[in-house]
Amino acid sequence: MSNTLRLYLTCIRNTLDAAMCLQNFPCQEVERHNKPEVELKTSSELLLNPVLICRNEAEKCLIETSINSLRISLKVKQADELENILTKKFLRFLSMRAEAFQVLRRKPVQGYDISFLVTNYHCEDMQKHKLIDFIVQFMEDIDKEISELKMSVNTRGRLVATEFLKQFM
Amino acid sequence: MAAVEVHKFAQCITCHAWSRDRSMLAFCPNNNEVHIYALLQGKWEKLHVLQKHDQIVSGIDWSARSNKIVTASHDRNSYVWNLEGSEWVPTLVILRLNRAALCVKWSPRENKFAVGSGAKTVCICYYEQENNWWVSKLIRKRHDSSVTSVAWHPNNILLATASTDGKCRIFSTFIKVVDAKESRTGPSADSKFGEQILQLDLSFTWSFGVRWSPSGNTLAYVGHNSMIYFVDDVGPSPLAQNVAFRDLPLRDVLFLSERLVIGVGFDCNPMVFAADERGIWSFIKFLGERKTTSSGPKYGSQFSEAFGKLYGQPKQGFNNDTNEHSRSRGGVHENCINCIVPLGAPGSSKVKRFSTSGLDGKIVVWDMENQEDLAEYL
Repeated sequence: MSNTLRLYLTCIRNTLDAAMCLQNFPCQEVERHNKPEVELKTSSELLLNPVLICRNEAEKCLIETSINSLRISLKVKQADELENILTKKFLRFLSMRAEAFQVLRRKPVQGYDISFLVTNYHCEDMQKHKLIDFIVQFMEDIDKEISELKMSVNTRGRLVATEFLKQFM
Repeated sequence: MAAVEVHKFAQCITCHAWSRDRSMLAFCPNNNEVHIYALLQGKWEKLHVLQKHDQIVSGIDWSARSNKIVTASHDRNSYVWNLEGSEWVPTLVILRLNRAALCVKWSPRENKFAVGSGAKTVCICYYEQENNWWVSKLIRKRHDSSVTSVAWHPNNILLATASTDGKCRIFSTFIKVVDAKESRTGPSADSKFGEQILQLDLSFTWSFGVRWSPSGNTLAYVGHNSMIYFVDDVGPSPLAQNVAFRDLPLRDVLFLSERLVIGVGFDCNPMVFAADERGIWSFIKFLGERKTTSSGPKYGSQFSEAFGKLYGQPKQGFNNDTNEHSRSRGGVHENCINCIVPLGAPGSSKVKRFSTSGLDGKIVVWDMENQEDLAEYL
């Protein structure tokens, strides 16, 4: 892992550690409801200032916190069109299976590739440090995964081209 | 070790309360029930389950003298439970709330209790003999957001509230029907019900966990920005002190004496604050032991970072980094502590024991008896 990526991830980890102080909090606007305030945004006093962590223009992470929920949105590096399409397809594949990941949001926040939604219920069921580990590990792996995918697409392309051109030899 | 008893009763506990002789314990296991356990032959056994609420119970308080339990729940209701024979019988409380009830506390004389709510109001409830129910008087239009915590002044009249609008307010709760004339002494002498005595605007963000010191001279509350606020001389010219600390924010506080405060919260470990001779408050230490110190691995990672830079070995850093923060906190509690209750010995005014409960489902009893370095503050 390169040094800059490590610093980026450490920064995100520390921010998450401070931001993930969630508690059960019933809705102030609707009777007998209990909803993630960061999604509803009905009472401004229950939201904290969002934190944007950028590694560069293409890679950033937005952390929005409220009293009972936390939303983490990621923008993954996409250097060329191939990476762009791979990222899109891969993250769509994951988002469609969001319930298996519990904290994954079905739809990313606008301008980002993938979003997580952590509520106080997740913090009650799971250990906080493991939850943070999961998100950081996810960010670490996603770059690796996409460059591997890219590599295999390229290799395959090369193989196909070789096979195809053999007939003209 | 300061923790003398550790009990794991449930997956997750929202709040708990003890009976006067500490032989019974009531807690909410993060659902709509209240479980009552009793100590029978050295073992804690479940005696009763109180089922009346239909949403999570957010507050429990057990009155020492009258042996009544009051519960508050997100379903907007509150009940007063009385032990009749071997059954706990609920009495209706007319709260007139249209949002969740968040916290509840008996007044020192136990003739009233206060309920803080998500409807931005506080209900002061008292018993009405003729109807056999508890009625409430509301303090309306004073809070700009949910009331997260309430605390009674020892004089039974003043009530302090903490709210998610970041303010701490003090009200008079004089109710003609219940409060006799002689109790009108001190600064609350000529205030009507619901009159705001003071508004403290120290925190920039949500405030929680408000408490009075045993004498009622000092008030403490916490902000979500990792600050704790101490207010002396509550009245026209209060003196406030802000203490910032470097760890995660607190949820609740408890005065053990005039000069010693325990704070609990997201750091999963009780924090001790004390005032020196001049009355200056400061953070003293964590009460629980930590197996891993938070500064240790950080130092290591910085070192390995420099090491990696020098020798161009990012791998070393990588190895160190993956286990850098994946530490369990190593204390007695493994998740946020959200409730702290004093355990005063019967017949003694000194509080040397207290219990904490948290989202990890544990109830821990702490003893300050053999903490030599803190003995001077007790």
